[in-house]
Amino acid sequence: MESRTVNTTAELEKELGMKESELFSFVEYRPSEAERIGYSEYSYWKSVFRNFFKNKAAVVMMIVFFMIFIFSFIALRIGKYDYQSLRSDTNLCFILPNSEYWFGTDNLGRDYWCQVWFATQTSIKLAAIVAAGECLVGVTLGCIWGYVRKADRFFTELYNIINSVPTMIYMTLIALMIGQSFWVMCASIILFHWLYMAKNVRNLVFMYRDREYNLASRCLGTKIGRILTRNILPYLISVIILRVALSIPSTIALETTLSYLGLGLDVNTPSLGILLRNSRAYFLDYPYLLIFPAIIVSLVTITFYLAGNAFSDAADPRNHV
Amino acid sequence: MKKLLAILLAVAMLAGILTACSSDSATVKQGVKNWVTYLTLANEMETFNILYSQNNKELQVLTNCFDGLLSQDSRGNLIPACAEEWGTEDGGKTWTFKLRKGIQWVDMNGNAMQEVKAEDWLVGLEWVLNFHKNAATNTSMPIEMIEGAGDYYTYTAGYTPAAADADDAAKEKAAKAKEKFEAVCAKYNLDPTPLTEEQGKALGLDLFKTMVGIEAPDDYTIVYHCVAEIPYFATVSTYNCLYPACQALIDQLGVDGFLACTNENMWYNGCYTITHYVQGNEKVLTKNPKYWDDKCALFDTVTYKMVESGDVAYQMFQAGELDYIELTESNLRTIYNNPDHEFHNNLVEARPTKYSYQIHLVYDKHFEDGTPDTNWNTAVANENFRLAWYYGLDATPYLSRTNFINPQKCANFCYTMTNLVSFSNGTEYTARVRELLGITENSETYARVDAAKAAEYKEKAMAELSAKGVTFPVEVDYYIQGSSQTALDTANVLKQMFSDYLGDDFVVLNIKTYISSLATEVRNPRLASFFINGWGADYGDPQNYLGQETYGQDNAYYSVSYSKINDATDPELIATYKEFTEMVDKANAIVGDMDARYEAYAQAEAYMIQHALVIPWYKNVLWQLTRTNDYSHVYSLYGIQGNKFKNWETAEDIYTTADYNKFAEDYNK
Amino acid sequence: MLRYTIKRLLHCVVTVLIVVSIVSLLLSLMPTDYYFTEDQLIKLTDEQKESQLAAAGLLDSPFVQLFNFLKQLILKGDLGTSRRIQNGVPVVDVIGGKFAISMKMGCIALVISLFLGIPMGILQAKNKDGVFDHVGAAYTIFVNAVPRLISYSLVLVLGVRLLKLPSMYSTRNVFVSSILPIVCLSMGSIASYALWMRRYMVDELTKDYIKLAQVKGLSMRTIMFKHVLRNAFVPMAQNLPTSFLLTIGGSLLVERFFSVPGLGPLLTDSITRYDIPMVRGLVLLYASLGVIGLFLGDVLMTIFDPRIRLTGKGGDTR
Repeated sequence: MESRTVNTTAELEKELGMKESELFSFVEYRPSEAERIGYSEYSYWKSVFRNFFKNKAAVVMMIVFFMIFIFSFIALRIGKYDYQSLRSDTNLCFILPNSEYWFGTDNLGRDYWCQVWFATQTSIKLAAIVAAGECLVGVTLGCIWGYVRKADRFFTELYNIINSVPTMIYMTLIALMIGQSFWVMCASIILFHWLYMAKNVRNLVFMYRDREYNLASRCLGTKIGRILTRNILPYLISVIILRVALSIPSTIALETTLSYLGLGLDVNTPSLGILLRNSRAYFLDYPYLLIFPAIIVSLVTITFYLAGNAFSDAADPRNHV
Repeated sequence: MKKLLAILLAVAMLAGILTACSSDSATVKQGVKNWVTYLTLANEMETFNILYSQNNKELQVLTNCFDGLLSQDSRGNLIPACAEEWGTEDGGKTWTFKLRKGIQWVDMNGNAMQEVKAEDWLVGLEWVLNFHKNAATNTSMPIEMIEGAGDYYTYTAGYTPAAADADDAAKEKAAKAKEKFEAVCAKYNLDPTPLTEEQGKALGLDLFKTMVGIEAPDDYTIVYHCVAEIPYFATVSTYNCLYPACQALIDQLGVDGFLACTNENMWYNGCYTITHYVQGNEKVLTKNPKYWDDKCALFDTVTYKMVESGDVAYQMFQAGELDYIELTESNLRTIYNNPDHEFHNNLVEARPTKYSYQIHLVYDKHFEDGTPDTNWNTAVANENFRLAWYYGLDATPYLSRTNFINPQKCANFCYTMTNLVSFSNGTEYTARVRELLGITENSETYARVDAAKAAEYKEKAMAELSAKGVTFPVEVDYYIQGSSQTALDTANVLKQMFSDYLGDDFVVLNIKTYISSLATEVRNPRLASFFINGWGADYGDPQNYLGQETYGQDNAYYSVSYSKINDATDPELIATYKEFTEMVDKANAIVGDMDARYEAYAQAEAYMIQHALVIPWYKNVLWQLTRTNDYSHVYSLYGIQGNKFKNWETAEDIYTTADYNKFAEDYNK
Repeated sequence: MLRYTIKRLLHCVVTVLIVVSIVSLLLSLMPTDYYFTEDQLIKLTDEQKESQLAAAGLLDSPFVQLFNFLKQLILKGDLGTSRRIQNGVPVVDVIGGKFAISMKMGCIALVISLFLGIPMGILQAKNKDGVFDHVGAAYTIFVNAVPRLISYSLVLVLGVRLLKLPSMYSTRNVFVSSILPIVCLSMGSIASYALWMRRYMVDELTKDYIKLAQVKGLSMRTIMFKHVLRNAFVPMAQNLPTSFLLTIGGSLLVERFFSVPGLGPLLTDSITRYDIPMVRGLVLLYASLGVIGLFLGDVLMTIFDPRIRLTGKGGDTR
């Protein structure tokens, strides 16, 4: 780590601006100095952000991502066709990107530009809501699960019950019984995916819980909430952030799989997953149908991967000085 | 006189066929010895028991494993299979089939087990009708047609007494079932206690013979006694409900074992045996060495590969792993529009499939909360509203989805499928219907469409309906399966057509989805405004089509399950339906003179279409790349014979468009 | 420990029974028409449908059905017979036929991904911010960035076109035809093992004991393999048994894509076809595997890190 090592007295002199003779002389006794408590200007979150902004690639990608998101609104405005009033005309199908159709047309001759950007919005919205939901529920319950021994049994049971049956069965049942819509989808993904976050958190809490400093803390009567948020949570943040960052692409991927099985969003809300699923049939002959949505999905994923890693490095208190 | 005629007819057909058969085998070109085809995973078999199966997914394979009494040739004529001769002596009430001698039941490896005898058909029918053996599947046609079959089924099914806490409706139902059961018992002097499962399974042929109208006077003769004169009964025998079963095998496997038989333990009497089966992966059919028709051309093996989707299959075809591929719209476009494409000259058009697709309007639609959708119900009951659709909707963009090269080949203006039956002078039945409707088919436009008339009807409908309080545009709900992108694309095209041809001020189409079962999720709760659905016949008579649409009859499938006409309230609509039903019943009563019968049906059909009770929509004519000549295949518009790999003409190289044009020309000569 | 094990195993049994019961009850909420195929709905009368449902015991109340099922299961070990997957064949036989294929393929993929993924993660951590780290990251990003559906399609196309590999799994040519599905199966898990391994290693490398070890003069190599790896492996260890056991369940997408006749697609197929005995059997299987996996994971974790105790009262919060 960046611990300084001071080698020569010459360096010391330079550093402190004192002569050698002054260096090794007695200091006058000052009572106020003796009472002073060591204090540093350390702020956890400030350090996190300072470290994060040192990672240029991640910052650039983050900016790109926000630009994509903002642009998706602009794109729908400036496009020549409005998503809601798209016409299908098979005579216009598979037109390569040109000045009229900026992203070309799909197999039904509909403008691809507005479809792609509309889908981008849907997907980002879905992924963001799911990530936030997972994070909130997962971390809270994960901490309780890992820390409170009595709760361990309950949560382990719950985890076993939910996790030991493939998510597909729940998704199928939900789709069959409740129906398909954007919010049902969000809720059902969160409902089954907070567990993985919670599990991760639980394992780490489990590891740190019995460390000596926590034992000491407990002996001193620190409240659970404080132990969790002050002693343990900082250690978890790196992992939590990585999870969240990865949950965004994985939500998009899950949505693609669910759409493929017919259990995804309803057909009138296209998502990037649905566009990708469709392009599968044509990508050999008309690669642009795959490339445009794939680029966006990849950018989103890469952003969150890089940003997630950078942020989780930055969030690790051991990297702070 | 009739008897003589029937026998003569049978003999004449037989002679024709025999010569055809022998000439066939001599000239059938077989470029491919081991045929490799594909099915999508959703079409995996659920059972090997042909008597139990009711689904095309099994029957298309099993038809190669079993032969029934009769089969069909490449022009759809009945030809002998296990029966050498057949006929009726009393206008269709009693039918006699003479079996061929020396047909063998064989095991998976082609070892002869036993000879196929007349009694096997009795065993087969007993199995079908016995509730404890076949759980009521495939019973509808025998019960409808064969004497005593319904009684035997009722007796084996028994009844379940209503639970003490059941509601009145359930109690009444149970009481009715009990009454019906007891009536049957009284009629045959039977003990009026329902059979237990064990007793039901143990039933042999003794009781069956006394109750059901089927007999085997000797080992090679089967006689069926029908409930009434059924002139088309012979065509029913191509369907699997009248297939044989071997008692020795049932004894060996037990009743449960026979129901759950596998390719390894069942006995075959058809042209192939299934020698290799891995569920969800592949199945291999191997030529049956003991097959009775030793002159016919068969493949050494036929392999079905189960693939994830048509796209994967197309890639496999390109890699040379398949001998045939059906083309999707986008593949077809790509190949057709690129003259340098490797398959550009190999595009060939398949023959129409046996399904005739219609727009089935729903006359009693509900909302998702269960309340009736009065707006739609009032609108659809108005004839002008329906006629605006009938004349307005130009199906061409829709047809282009399947066949954009010749969309009008998919055009369909009748309810009955083309080529199902013909008049004695050679006029095809649907040609007569079109004549009555005044439609002349052409290759350029969807012939029925008349924009002027549509506009006129639309105006009238809007005026009349607005007066009745209908709000425009009328919301139209159309349901598709959520996982199917093809269905969604097609629905989008349809939506566009509604907007273009009917106008956004008139109707608005909403695309909605269901997950796995149309019946459960959409039809029963009556959520859709209309369905587009195809019907393939089970036997060769217009009754099988028109009988599905009649008013107030329990076995009219479309009326009961789709259009829900029996729950409609509009008196004018009901009167039209009743008129149509009467016409169908009259036609069905004509049994002697087939021409008069068909004419009566044609009149009824034209009446139904003119009033747009149902709107004919399309038929399937696909494009494909293939190494076989479709015109050499069994062409079957009813029954299960259609997918037999028998006498297939094949070539080493993929056929070219020119080859196929010639085949079509030769065929239509 | 023994007492804990027995207690925990008994617990597992209870959990499995609860899962199966919940799923069974949920399934009985589905409309019974799913029991029939579309063709059967055409041809059967209402009375016939009812007789069939009654004969199959589906008209009883959900709790009676559940009770009957549990009775059969516990007294006779009988899971019933499949109806729509393979009519009349015992559920055990259907699952038995498919399970070996999924497991074989899954185990090979798991071994491959462990042997490639973990070293990859270690190397990445060792060369943090070096070339190898970036290459590894690029791979991870690619695998995660492209949805499975697309990357499998790409593998399929490239494998078939360039390498002339068969596009479909075949029981008659197992070795060659398994290559593509195994590539697809391990592609993703290599990336995820590498990712998490790297993460945990990097986290571990910042700890104080590393400094101590360095000060002690241990070589980087020894530190890496003797100290860091072991500690970093602890959180990984917990998931290992589960991933191993779940290979038996197969992968829905890969198996559908390459028509592998394994367990993967069976569950969704059974649900949509309303094959209740089949669903129950599968849920029973999956639940048992999952629960046992979790238990073994906990045990494995205590082996790798003795500080973790599953018993005792260390952290009780009072």
